[in-house]
Amino acid sequence: MAYEVRLPNLGDEVTKATVQFWHLEEGDSAQEGDDLVEMATDKAVFNVPSPVNGMIKEIVADEGDTVEVGGLLAIIEEQT
Amino acid sequence: MMRSLFPAHVKKRLAPAGLAPQVRQILAHYHIETVCQNARCPNQSECFARGTATFMILGNICTRTCRFCAVRKGLPLPVNPNEPKALAEAARHLGLCHVVITSVTRDDLMLGGAPHFARCILALRRLHPSCTIEVLTPDFQGSVEALLTIVQAHPDVFNHNVETVPRLYPQIRPEAQYQRSLNLLRTVKELEPTIFTKSGIMVGLGETPDEVFAVLDDLRAHDCDFVTIGQYLAPSNAHHPVHRFAPPDEFTEYARYARQRGFRHVASGVFVRSSYHAEDALKDLVKNKLD
Repeated sequence: MAYEVRLPNLGDEVTKATVQFWHLEEGDSAQEGDDLVEMATDKAVFNVPSPVNGMIKEIVADEGDTVEVGGLLAIIEEQT
Repeated sequence: MMRSLFPAHVKKRLAPAGLAPQVRQILAHYHIETVCQNARCPNQSECFARGTATFMILGNICTRTCRFCAVRKGLPLPVNPNEPKALAEAARHLGLCHVVITSVTRDDLMLGGAPHFARCILALRRLHPSCTIEVLTPDFQGSVEALLTIVQAHPDVFNHNVETVPRLYPQIRPEAQYQRSLNLLRTVKELEPTIFTKSGIMVGLGETPDEVFAVLDDLRAHDCDFVTIGQYLAPSNAHHPVHRFAPPDEFTEYARYARQRGFRHVASGVFVRSSYHAEDALKDLVKNKLD
């Protein structure tokens, strides 16, 4: 099943963040909890962990893109 | 590729949402401001996931112009008289065992808003008597009467941050005075020795480690019981820039020095903030007493 990875709430007052660096590429497999992507706000840098076990099917937000909270970052083909 | 300038140890790992949605809902329901939200704290998702938050009273607009702080600055609104009760109910609803109350600085109010702090403490004692209470206050322009007002309401912990080394006050806290802040801590201790006093300092604003050690000495010389030391992060490009990121062992060294100087509780680390895991200080004291 395809799982949509979205930008979690980084704290109120913070509405968006910029993609700094993808730790994994399309086609890589990720375990739940693995760091997927580094996101930067004005104040801090956050690593977003993978919410599921699976294979990265598509990276939707590229490095340098600014994403709103709730915005789509990637699609993971979930493997159970 | 846009590799960030942040070294690996200054990157925060996002925690699973946990209790965060409920915490946000409760805060919104009672119209409670938090410093977590107003200061864009990097620990917010983690603390909210654990079900905790630090309340901010007296509005969300500050009358000072500190260069490190993300809280809105300008002309504040009138104080909400229902805030003490709403705050106590929110604390009870959240089930907090240790409540931390901070505020914006209100140089426009009589006694800097100290009576409002006292009302919040008393409301908590009445509506949520099981919790311990920590206040993190502004300097009240050094008013002993303001301190007396708060001391009479008897919080368990009185926290006032010196924030930085004295040399950087003109750039970082232009309306504050280092010695005045130190005196505040000593005065509280003199007025009521059973209240624990606490202070904190940020590193990375341009100070040297020796200056940090000197601040720790000064705090102990003013009978400060607990200290927190953390890495400064700039809320935006308009704020004071991060001068440097202190390596992890520097925080370890500050902690070692602080314990040696006799602080009864020390929290030192990159993401340590004034009220981050604030309940631990009192828990440790109880534990050490039992051991």
